[in-house]
This record gives sequence, C-alpha cells and structure tokens, in this order.
Amino acid sequence: MGGKKKSVLRFSMVLLLSLGLVLSACSGGNNKGAAKNDNNGQEAGENVANGVEPFEISVFIGQPDQQPTPDNKIYKLIREKTGASFKFEFLAGDIDQKLGVMIAGGDYPDMMTANQKLTAAGAFIPLEDLIEEHAPNLKKHYEKYWNMMKDPNDGHIYNLPNYGVTNADVTSSWYSGPAFWIQKDVLAEAGYPEVKTLDQYFDLIKQYKEKHPTIDGTPTIGFEILNYDWKNWGLFNAPQHLIGHPNDGGVVVKDGKAEIFADKDYAKRYYKKLNEMNALGIIDKETFTQNFDQYMAKISSGAVLGMFDQHWNFQSAENALITQKKDERTYVGLPLVFDEGIRDHYKDRPALNLNNGFGITVNASEEQAIRIIKLLDTLIQEDWQKILAWGIEGEDYIVKDGRFMKTQEQRDQFTDATWKLANKADSFYGQAPKMEGLFSDGNATDAAAQPEEILAGMKEYDKNFLAQYGFNSYVDFFSPAPENDIAYPAWSVDLVDGSEAKIVNTKQNELSTKYLPKAILAKPEEFDSVWDEYVTEIRKLNIKAYEDRINEVLQWRRDTWSVK
Amino acid sequence: MEETFVKDSAVRKPKKNKKITWAVLKEQRQLIYMSVPLMAYIILFAYVPIWGWTMAFQDYKPARDFSEQKWVGFKHFEFLFKDDSFLQVLRNTLAMSVINMILGFTTAIILALLLNEIKKVFWKRTVQTISYLPHFLSWIIVTGIVATSLASDGIINDVLMKLHLIKEPIQWLSEGKYFWGIVGASHVWKEVGWNTIIYLAAMASIDPALYEAADMDGASRYRKMFHVTLPGIKPTIIILLIMQVGHILEAGFEVQYLLGNGLVVDWSQTIDIFVLKYGLAQGNYSLATAAGIFKTVVSVTLLLIANGVAKRLGEERLL
Amino acid sequence: MANQTISPGPATAAAAPKSVRKKRVEPILFNTFNTLFMIGLVVVTLYPFLNTIVVSLNAGNDTIRGGIYLWPREFTWQNYKAVFASGTIYDAFWISVARTVLSTLLNLVLTTMLAYTLSRREYVFRKPITLIFILTMYFNAGLIPGYFLMKDLHLLNSFWVYVIPSMISAFNMIVIRTYIGTIPESLVESARIDGAGDFKIFIRIIFPLCKPVLATIALFVAVGAWNSWFDAFIYTSSRQELSTLQYELMKLLSSSMNANSNPAVAAGAGMTQDAAVNMVTPISIRAAVTVVASVPILLVYPFMQKYFVVGLNVGSVKE
Repeated sequence: MGGKKKSVLRFSMVLLLSLGLVLSACSGGNNKGAAKNDNNGQEAGENVANGVEPFEISVFIGQPDQQPTPDNKIYKLIREKTGASFKFEFLAGDIDQKLGVMIAGGDYPDMMTANQKLTAAGAFIPLEDLIEEHAPNLKKHYEKYWNMMKDPNDGHIYNLPNYGVTNADVTSSWYSGPAFWIQKDVLAEAGYPEVKTLDQYFDLIKQYKEKHPTIDGTPTIGFEILNYDWKNWGLFNAPQHLIGHPNDGGVVVKDGKAEIFADKDYAKRYYKKLNEMNALGIIDKETFTQNFDQYMAKISSGAVLGMFDQHWNFQSAENALITQKKDERTYVGLPLVFDEGIRDHYKDRPALNLNNGFGITVNASEEQAIRIIKLLDTLIQEDWQKILAWGIEGEDYIVKDGRFMKTQEQRDQFTDATWKLANKADSFYGQAPKMEGLFSDGNATDAAAQPEEILAGMKEYDKNFLAQYGFNSYVDFFSPAPENDIAYPAWSVDLVDGSEAKIVNTKQNELSTKYLPKAILAKPEEFDSVWDEYVTEIRKLNIKAYEDRINEVLQWRRDTWSVK
Repeated sequence: MEETFVKDSAVRKPKKNKKITWAVLKEQRQLIYMSVPLMAYIILFAYVPIWGWTMAFQDYKPARDFSEQKWVGFKHFEFLFKDDSFLQVLRNTLAMSVINMILGFTTAIILALLLNEIKKVFWKRTVQTISYLPHFLSWIIVTGIVATSLASDGIINDVLMKLHLIKEPIQWLSEGKYFWGIVGASHVWKEVGWNTIIYLAAMASIDPALYEAADMDGASRYRKMFHVTLPGIKPTIIILLIMQVGHILEAGFEVQYLLGNGLVVDWSQTIDIFVLKYGLAQGNYSLATAAGIFKTVVSVTLLLIANGVAKRLGEERLL
Repeated sequence: MANQTISPGPATAAAAPKSVRKKRVEPILFNTFNTLFMIGLVVVTLYPFLNTIVVSLNAGNDTIRGGIYLWPREFTWQNYKAVFASGTIYDAFWISVARTVLSTLLNLVLTTMLAYTLSRREYVFRKPITLIFILTMYFNAGLIPGYFLMKDLHLLNSFWVYVIPSMISAFNMIVIRTYIGTIPESLVESARIDGAGDFKIFIRIIFPLCKPVLATIALFVAVGAWNSWFDAFIYTSSRQELSTLQYELMKLLSSSMNANSNPAVAAGAGMTQDAAVNMVTPISIRAAVTVVASVPILLVYPFMQKYFVVGLNVGSVKE
C-alpha cells in the first residue's frame, strides 16, 4: 500500500513538474514577446525623436538559414536609422510542402522570397506602381531590366531579383561555374601546355596516371563523374559546352530554337569517349555508385586527376587539400571543346536572377507595403550597400588610400558562421536588391572581386603556376564571355508544375540517369547498342511538349525584353 | 453484481454479441464513458480530414476554394496505373517490404529470446541499450556508413578478400541483384534493437509459474524457450504481424533514395519515390492523394484477409 | 563450480541434480555462443553511434577526406560550438521537454483506458470502436486537409498542436490491449465480486499490472514526441518561441548544407582559404546535431528497463 501511495505521489509530482514547464515555457515566450515590445517601445521613444517610426516586417525566406542574434549589429543599425525590424522565418524541410499549406491557408507574412508557386497562386502584389511612386532609387537600379522583370503570364512585376543587376563587367578571380577540371600537377608535369580539346585533356590524364599509378599511397583515379541526387550535371551537361554552347540546362539554343541535346550525335561522341576511357581504366569504377561524401573524400585525398563539375560544388574538398598543404593537387578549370576551331563559351555574363528575390504579399496592408518598398529603396543606396556587403568601416574592413581591404583577422571572421550571425545581415542581404560590380568610388561591391583581396588570397604556388601561363587569375583560362543572347538562359524557363513539359523533362532525366552510366560502363563493342536503346526510349517521349514550352517562353522574352 | 459476474464469465469464451438494450448500455456505462469520447476525438482528428480525398478526383490547386476546383474523375489513378514503370515500382515496393518484414520479425524475435537468456542484469541491459542506439541515427548517417562499408576499399570487401572468398572487390551498389538485400540488412542493423523492446515487454507478462513447472519437469533451456517463452509472446507476434501485413506497400523512400543510383534504378524505385517525383515535386497533390487511396484500399484488404486467416487458425486477432 | 557463474534460469537449483552431466555441457556451449553473439551485436550496433560521436569531434575540413572511424584525426570542439552558438536551441530544448512529458503522460492514461474498454469482450461497442481506431493506421488524409483542421481548431501557432492531435495511437492501443489479454480474467472477476466498477478496475488493477507494456509505450511515445519536427515545421514555424529542439537543429543543419551548396556563399569561401581550417562542414555539423538531439532521449531507456523483469507484476498481485 505504501508503495502505491509513493508512486501516486511521484506521478503527481511529474505531472505538476511538466505542467509547470509548459506554463513557464508559455509565459516565458510571452514575457519575451513583451520584452521585445518594450524594447521596441523604448526605441520608438528614441526614434520618434529622430523622426523614424518603428515597424516590424514579417519575412519568409524560402531557404534554410539561421536566426541572426537579437543584438546583430547591422539589423540594429537598420532599426535605428529606418525604424524597420525583421521577423524572419526560414525554411527547413521541403519547400513544396511548406508552400502548399501556406497557399492553401492563405497564411503569408508581409514579405516572401519569390517562387513560381506563390506567383501562380496570386500571393504577391504588383510592384510597378509602388516603385514608380515611392522608390526612385529602386526604379533607377532596375531601369535597364524593367521589362525582364515582368511576369510572362500577366506582365506585372512581382519580385525584385536579388542578383544580376551589374554596373561593370568585373572579373571575379574565382570562377564558380562548370568546367573540365584538371589537377594542377598534371599540367605542371606536362610543362604547362595549353589544353583546348577533350582528346588533349584525356591524353594528359592518361599519361600522368600511367606514370603515377598511386598518389600519396592512394591509387590514382583518372576521371570522376558525379551523378548523385539532384547533382546530375557532372553526367548530363558536358556535351553542350563541348560544342561551344553556354549553359542552357537541358537544351541547346540553335538559331533561336531550343532543342534537347541528350540524344544528339555530339552527345554520343562525348559518352563514347568516356566509354573508351573507361575501358582503359581511366574512370573510377565506383563513380556512378558513390554518394556526394565519397566523391568529396576522393577529391580531397588528392588522387583524382580530373572531373566535370561546377567549382562551388567541390570547393570544400579543395579547401581540405589546401589545409593539407597539397596546393599542387588543387584544380584548374578548362573550357574544353571537341575541336580546336570551336570557341569555348563556359563563362557567361550574369543574367538577371529571375524568380528570385523579395516580393510583397497580399497580406501586407497598403501602408505596410509602402513602408517596405521605401525601406528597400533606402537600402539600395550606396552607403547602405557598403554596410551590407563590407560591413562597418574600421571594424569589418579598413580603407587605405580610398581602397577597401581587410586584415587577415577580418578575412577569417567572414568565414565564421557564428560571427556572421551577430555581425552580418546576410539573411536579408542575400535576397535583397543589390548593387553588383563597382561602387562609385571604384571599390568592388564584393570583397571576393576586389583586386587587393584577390592578391592577398593567392598562394605562392598559384602565383608561379599562373606566371607560367602569363595569366593573372585562373579565370583567364576561359574566353571572355560574349554578350548574352537576349533570351538567355533557357534553364530559367518555368516549365509549369504538373504540365506535360515538366513530366517529360522528369522522365528524360530518369532515362539519362539509367542509360548513360550503362553506356559508359559497357564493353566498347556494346556501346552502340546501349546508346541506340537509350535514344529509342527518349524518342518515345513527347519531347516536343518540353521543347515547345521553352521556345514559347524564349520567344516571349525576345518580344518583350528587346525593347532596350 | 453477482449477476454481472456470472454473465461475464459466461460471455468470456464463446463470445456472442449482446443485443444493445438500455439495460446493457446502463450496465456498461463506465466502459462507454471511457471510450466513446475518445472515439469522437479520433473521428475529429483522423476521419474529418478525409474530405481531402476528393483531391484525388480533382486537379487540385491549393490557391482555389473547394467550389472552384476542377473535377477530373479518375485521371490521376490512370496516370498512376498506366505508367510504364508502375508494375516495376510495385514489384520493388512489395519485394523490399516483404524482405524487411521477414528479416525484421525473425531477427527481433531471435534477439529477444537470446537477450532473455542472459542472466546478468547489467550485461543484459547494456546489450539492450547499445543495440537500440542506431534507431536514433537518421537514414542519411546510416546509409553513409553502409555506402562506405560497401565501397571497393570498404570493410566488407576487405574481409571477403582476406578470407579469399573473392578475388576482386565487388561493386555492391552497382548491381540490382544485391540492392534489396542491402536495404533489408540496413533496416535490420538500424532497427533490430528497437524492435526487440516490444517483445521484451511481452516476455515480462509470462507467468513465472510456467517456468517453475517446466523446471520441475526437467525441461531443458531450449524446451523452455520454445514451449514457454515463445508461446508467451505469440499473441504479440501475431498481432504485430497482422498489422504489418497492412503496411505492405510502405517500403519507404529514404533508404532507396540515398543508396540508389542510375545502375540499380530498376530495383530501387518504390511507389513513394514515384509519388514524390510526379506528385509533390510537381505540385500535384492530387496524384499523391490518389496513390494514398490506392495504398489504403490495398492495406485494408490485406489486413482483413490476415485477420481472417488468424481467426481460422484460432490465433489472436486484431478485430 | 564453474557453472555457478553461468547458472541458468531462476529456480534451477532444485532441478539441477537430475541430469548433471548433460546440463553442464549444454549451458556452457549455449552461454558461450550467446555471449559471443552479444559481443558481436554490441560491436556492430555501437559502431555507427560511436562513429558519429567521433566525427562530431573531428575538424569539419578534415572529415571531408573520409576515413574517420574510431578516433578523431584532428580533435576539435568547433562543431559543438557552432551548434551551441545558436541562441535559439535553449528555449527550444524546454519546449521539447514539455511536449514530450505531456504527450507521454496523456498517451499512457488515455491509450490504456481505451485499450482496457476494448479488451472487454462483453462491451457492446467493442468491435466498431476497435475498427474505427485500427483503420486510422492505414490512411492519411493528406497534409492540406490536416492543416485546415488545425487552423479551424485554432491550433496553429499554439503549443497544444504538439500534444492534442496525437494523444492516442491505434498501434499502441493494440499493443496494450494484447497485453491486457494476458492478464488473468480471475483478477477482474474477483474485483467485480467486491463491487468494483470498470473505472475502478482499470485504475486499481489493470493500470498497475500493465507496467512492462506501459514502460514500452512510454518509450515509444516519448521518442516519437522528442524526435518529431514536422509539426513544428508545418504548424508553428512562424512563432520562433514555440520551436522545438529537433526543428531548431534541423534548421541549423540545413543552413550549413545550404551554405555549402550555394554558389554565392561558396564563392566567398574561396577567398580566404586560410580560415578554411576552422570551417564547419555539413557532415560534421550533422554528426554534432545528431549527438545533441539524441543524447537526452537516450537516457530514458535505461530507466524503463527495470519494468521489464519477468513475471514481477503478475506474480506479486496474485498472492
């Protein structure tokens, strides 16, 4: 009996405790809310004196990020100067699910990042009139791009693109895009040759691999092709570049008409070459079964001689090589083509980042919408842009003879995620309209493009390496980007959810995922039959629906965008 | 009260449904108080949202009101069933879920029996606690370790080479014939300890007198295992098995997605992956709902069959 | 003498002298095999978690190279610092504790109560209510209808959305009902003779007797509640102060993955490569997050285990 009483007592204790917890958690939350309001109130008091009225903007950002710290210095500055504070909600989980319920319930915050689903659901308000009336700086900022920003379906502007508005062709020292990458030592050992074609590239790799069957004890891997999850460009995208075409995604635009290239002869030529290289043992046996972590592990071991990839994708593996002091095992991007006569077009001019950046939702009151657009208008001005990009002068960067630069400590801080939460406003800045290129005083808007910073970040090994070629940076391996076609790029065309075009595209990708590895790994004499099967399967699909949709939008772009 | 008792025991074995009369309702009012509100609760939270199944027959757009939706009949079911890969996807789903079920049940029961034979409490609890740890790791971590172990230079190939069972490393993840087994084994690895818990609890309900009696008869350890312990947890096993049969179309998607690749795609795609690709990723909630309805119909049918079989065999049953 | 340490079973002493010779060899063989098997199991199931801990203590930049198994190559606390630097996880921890404790208590009481009524064979609504609950395991109305229900019930952005929609699970109910089925009917009958009603019988007899299965269910519910993040993601994501630990950690992890797959961010990283040493990477953050998320709930199991002792409860009441 005593035992029972004790257990009853214990049970009620636990119950009480948990209730207490809930209550304290709730009231804690409330207190905090209250405290926040108090803060605002206080600041409001101060601010009213300055003539700024405090207001809060609720913002949904459609990608994962972390809450900035409550006393983040940049947001604090924005609050003090403009009265605006942000209440961020970041995505963690599947965006389709989250947007699905938001749209169904019509539960939007004041401001959201662009998404075609939201635009289609009528979640955003048109911005043209608001900008004309209240935002002269934004109007000026987007002037050249005004028509491009219009929605193909109804001609309204719903979003303010966050990237692609540039005022100077500033060559960044760092090329983040696609290329055939080759280990620096392979070039060094061959006497720094100029490599133009696919055949030359594989010859170099073959020779090096024969001479060095292992690197630091690990068997040498000639070539890697990553095709994992959504990272499929390593397998899919090379053929268009080899014929001198820029990255248009799944299509090549010839004489203004888009067509898929997966089943074309030049694609066959590339995969046949890979098939031959596989027969010679150049290609990693595990290349199609590895996951991304394994791919990165191989690259960072220094034993991989080459791959086709986008630079940002394997950057952290290169960082690992550098910390191991294996500078000669890092990579040079080469803009390869099939034949000498073809001009490479890997590097392209930044295009306007359509369907990205902020929009104001229908849930924001008219008054709130005006406040938001005025705020964005303020923040696009140069003094604010410097704060958002470089930080506070003296704290985050230094100025010498009018040139912006950083001390090593300041440089390191910028890579420290925790420091950034308290000292940068990246969640906002990443999505906001921004100046790109040069400030009026000649400093780069992006530290990574500031010549002084580029030089400071350059290793001795790289300085020597580049000197052999007579280049200033690795970007010089690429031909300068020609003017973009007016409708470029085709990959930003919205295929429309659930449309036949999108379903066909999904199916085509499925076929490529299945057949290309098979074709590459086949015995050379069997390659043709696998390829023919692949092409037959692709032609069974209604590829026309996919191509038609792209051409329709490209045509629309030419008609509307050509005005200026 | 005396009466109730007599009725109770009379009803107990050859169970016959009582007629619902006021007298019976009054007599059972406490049972009613204890269960009917909970029934109302579950109807509200589980059944009321079923109106959403209408989506399967519409081209559902979240931004529109119910009255504005476009009705399309069985279009989405047709898309599902007429797709060239549907049969293959169904085959893969069934195969993997049957393999998982068989491996899952046998390994968990065997482990529970063996754990029950450990007499040192500390050691027993240590083994239990450690074996359930992998349950708390996400699939992405577990499949990461699986992929590393199966690589050319991974531990599996290393061991097989050292034992001279193979001459060259096997590319385990490049061949469809290994895929289902790898998925099954990964499930066992991750969940066996966790799945054991329920049987260990069931063993705690076995009357110690039965063991004492068996000891009196000089029964060996194996006899006790097979004639006391196993029958003691049989009701639990059967009930779990019946419930699992109803989940036969749930082979999951994470493992297959994380371990799959172009070379094994004909073996790795499950219904759930198909629905993700052509449903959610396309904003097509209708297709996802149609697939859900299809799965429910299959589930409930199999569940009733399994329950019927159990009834025939005179075993514990669900309903 | 030797078999003293490996003395099998309770009350074997009495039976031991019978066939000493046979008995001696058999248990030794069995116990040796069993011990070896358990050691193997411990090694295999401990490894993934141990490896995760080791990875979480290794420099992120170095982990990319792979080959981290049982000991960190470049020890660092950096990954944990990155996790604990997030100011939001402390409040979120207490929200998680509160929802877990509350869910567990409510589930235990309500599910067991329901299970008891549905174990009474004389209960007239037994069949329909059982069916209503069982079916809930096999259908899912879908995300959007569920969202509307929560909205209509004013549970959006409320703490109660973590607790109220999941107060009863049909699966757990069946497991408990099966367990109650093994409790001798005579106990209930004698209570009835003493004039107890169903409610009293449930509270006084059934509930205390169900300890082993309740421990199991408590574990299931607690682990489920602790690990769930989807409700925070869908229902409360716009109120930061209601966020749970799992959801905060998930945000942390996805933002570190995003940072590494975002061309703009990676480009910045390319600049100052000297600082790369201190950078955290998704793999290492994932490991640290996993450890932080699972250790609190892992501590529950050892406390539950003492309720798994064979025959403890039934035997003691019988006296």
